Amino acid sequence: MKTRKLLPLTLALALAAALFAACSGPSAPHGAAAPSDLPPAARTEVTIGFPDIPSGFDPLTISGHGSYVPLLYSTLVALDPDMNVTPDLAESYAVSDDALTYTFKLRGDARFTDGAPVKASDVAFTYNAIMSLASEIDLSAVDSVAAEGDTVVIRLKRPRSTFILDVAGIGIAPERAYGEGFALNPIGSGPFKLVQHDVGQQMILEANENYYGKAPAIKRAVFVNMSSEDQRLIAAKSGQVDITLTSAPLAATNAIDGYNLLVEKTVDNMGIVMPVIPAGGGTSAKGNPMGNDVTCDPALRKAVAYAIDRQRLCDEALDGYATPAWSENDGMPWHNPESRIETDAGHAVRLLEDAGWIDEDGDGIREKNGLKASFPVYYFAGDSDRQAVAMSAARQVKEKIGVEMRVEGMGEGDVMALMVSQPVVLAWGSSNPFTSYCLYHSSSIGKDDWYNPESFGNPKVDGYLDAALGARTLDEAIPYWKKAQWDGVTGTSMRGECPYIFLVNKDHLYFRRDGLNTGEQMRHAHGAAWALVANLKDWYWES
Amino acid sequence: MGKLKSVAIYAARGVTLLLAVSIFSFMLASASPIDPETRYRLSHPGASDANVAKMREYWGVDEPPAERYLGWLGGVLRGDWGVSTTYRRPVLEVVGTRFKTSLALMMTAWAFSGLLGFAVGCLMGVFRGRWPDRVIRRFCLLLCSAPTFWIGLVFLAVFAAALGWFPFGLAVPPGVPPDQVTMGQRIHHLILPALTLSFLSFANLALHTREKLGDVFDSDYALFARARGESDASVLLRHGARNALIPATMLHFGSFAELFGGSVFAETIFSYPGLGAAAAAAGMGASDMPLFLGIVMFSACFVFAGNLMANILAQIIDPRTREGVKA
Repeated sequence: MKTRKLLPLTLALALAAALFAACSGPSAPHGAAAPSDLPPAARTEVTIGFPDIPSGFDPLTISGHGSYVPLLYSTLVALDPDMNVTPDLAESYAVSDDALTYTFKLRGDARFTDGAPVKASDVAFTYNAIMSLASEIDLSAVDSVAAEGDTVVIRLKRPRSTFILDVAGIGIAPERAYGEGFALNPIGSGPFKLVQHDVGQQMILEANENYYGKAPAIKRAVFVNMSSEDQRLIAAKSGQVDITLTSAPLAATNAIDGYNLLVEKTVDNMGIVMPVIPAGGGTSAKGNPMGNDVTCDPALRKAVAYAIDRQRLCDEALDGYATPAWSENDGMPWHNPESRIETDAGHAVRLLEDAGWIDEDGDGIREKNGLKASFPVYYFAGDSDRQAVAMSAARQVKEKIGVEMRVEGMGEGDVMALMVSQPVVLAWGSSNPFTSYCLYHSSSIGKDDWYNPESFGNPKVDGYLDAALGARTLDEAIPYWKKAQWDGVTGTSMRGECPYIFLVNKDHLYFRRDGLNTGEQMRHAHGAAWALVANLKDWYWES
Repeated sequence: MGKLKSVAIYAARGVTLLLAVSIFSFMLASASPIDPETRYRLSHPGASDANVAKMREYWGVDEPPAERYLGWLGGVLRGDWGVSTTYRRPVLEVVGTRFKTSLALMMTAWAFSGLLGFAVGCLMGVFRGRWPDRVIRRFCLLLCSAPTFWIGLVFLAVFAAALGWFPFGLAVPPGVPPDQVTMGQRIHHLILPALTLSFLSFANLALHTREKLGDVFDSDYALFARARGESDASVLLRHGARNALIPATMLHFGSFAELFGGSVFAETIFSYPGLGAAAAAAGMGASDMPLFLGIVMFSACFVFAGNLMANILAQIIDPRTREGVKA
């Protein structure tokens, strides 16, 4: 009996074994030589685990800040790590006294990757084409662009101090070659050229031998698409990438042999935007009701801002990989340090009590005229960083000053409809002060984009913002940008009217193979991927 | 005559199904709170009103949905499925190239899970109630409740990171031009995602096969066969396997929908550039409606074809299900 029973078992087992053998047979190592097989000193190649391989490389539709543009294209001017404007394709430029005419003199030796020279007419073509498209680049202030010999003359309709930052983000395309299919076969004059592109899989760049600037030490860069952070971690652990993005929880719990943790400071901030008008304040363009009766009290908003110990948020929620945030532009030349506040729970309590917020029923939450000091705070469901930071802040606020923040996750579409009436965790971070203009100018109210959902409008602040944008140069605008934040009496900062409770600036974190030097990077804006590789031409392998 | 009639019925069903799916998907897409304008404003903060107006015109936002649907349907009937905004290529071309990559993955996974699932199911059926059955069954139940993306991550952690046997993803080795990729390399990159995907339906199939075999072994004719002196192996081969093959086939061809759904996860985790990853990209970030509708229609055809094959095969395997034959 026993031997009989064994027959079907052996049959089935044999079948299963055969299947396994069939399927795992070809698993003998076929993989290409791992990059780690080469001695680091000899290396001129880098493999990057990247979450954001673009579908095309059209420079006319996208700004260079946070995109492929600085890799493949050159811009008239560039920005150095300290945010100074430096020459690039233009060896010099001048701004007229009325701030309306910009004259750029081109260098003569720039060539596109197909060998043709970069001419002023290519620049004029690029700018004019952008103006005729629904592009991300907003050139609505530009009146005309003309090429005259080796100079480009741009006339503005009205002064715009941030225009030179826009210029620094516009990659120049060749007039001759631009057209159908250009986005997939780009021709630029930047430090690198595209040699292979496979959407959703990888893109390969090689150093452009025609590049007029210093030749990049990295001759070949392979960007491998990795959308999940777990996959990126595994790729680093198995030594298959030289550098890749990671997150605070993974960085805190994983040390990888042969890799170091690259920590880049950012203006990638996180804050809670608080509606500043009472409910019944009209509706937005899409018909969403605006205003909130609790957060419209400036004393309550400021109390929350003063109560939060931001360093504790960094430590509790982001494993220390963050710095306290005081504004949307910390560390930028136009940031006003005067606008900063000190954490002071005592001051917060006084603010609340003076405004009439008292805990009368003894439940730990203050109220005023029957209204509880309690409001929801929405974050994008699935964004664990925002959730952790908001929950940590909510604990502190409840404990210290008896104000309740009910932290809830919600889909992006629903948040859009709610953010004009309820507090929402948003993230900003830009290397252009025009962001501040959009964030706080009263003309942004009720448009249902991410700008000014709080309905903040202050004539004095509007005046400063208009003066800043209308200044002749970036430098001349800085005093006005600063005054908009805090002029000694009011402003957009937490010391002023406090429409935003800024919390933390997230560090951008990367696992980087030992020996890879990623150069000096500009303070990262929102978005960790493109900010890392923007200076790929300065990367090198240490010998 | 009867054959012709059933072909006509199936064709009519297929067409109405596709129409219904297209109308339903279009309605869902129109009802999405993120319309093209919102999407544009979200991804282009501070866009000027002039640019937004250009964008609205481009997308035909101001046309009523019914008109947009008929416009799309007219294009499809002429063979013009539109241009994918994510890949900047015609939808049909994207779906075609991506499907080829996916097909290798899905069919490998499907064949593997079918053979293994059936074999393991037979094994459990034979040993029903005893320890090999108990151990394997628990394992199968565990697999049934494990989500595909989690299995994928475990496989990555074990086979790619810890053991280093397989690459961490992609269909080809990074940094190698497509014309230099060998067949061996392609297969090497295929194994982990295929294994992940096959675990989706393998356990289910094994459990169903086990149940059916149990029924057969408890039946009078199995008892009679044993009484005649037939061995377990002979009962399994002559009665059990053939009877269990019917539900297994139906189930496995019917699992095309899960296969397709699972490939979205498996391909995303392994950055495998197939149709599932394209569907995720079209639906999630980019709101690439032309591609999304294209993939929906294509997957509807795919699932329909799977079910159709199940029906036809069932009639071949089991004479009782043939039309006109009364059991």
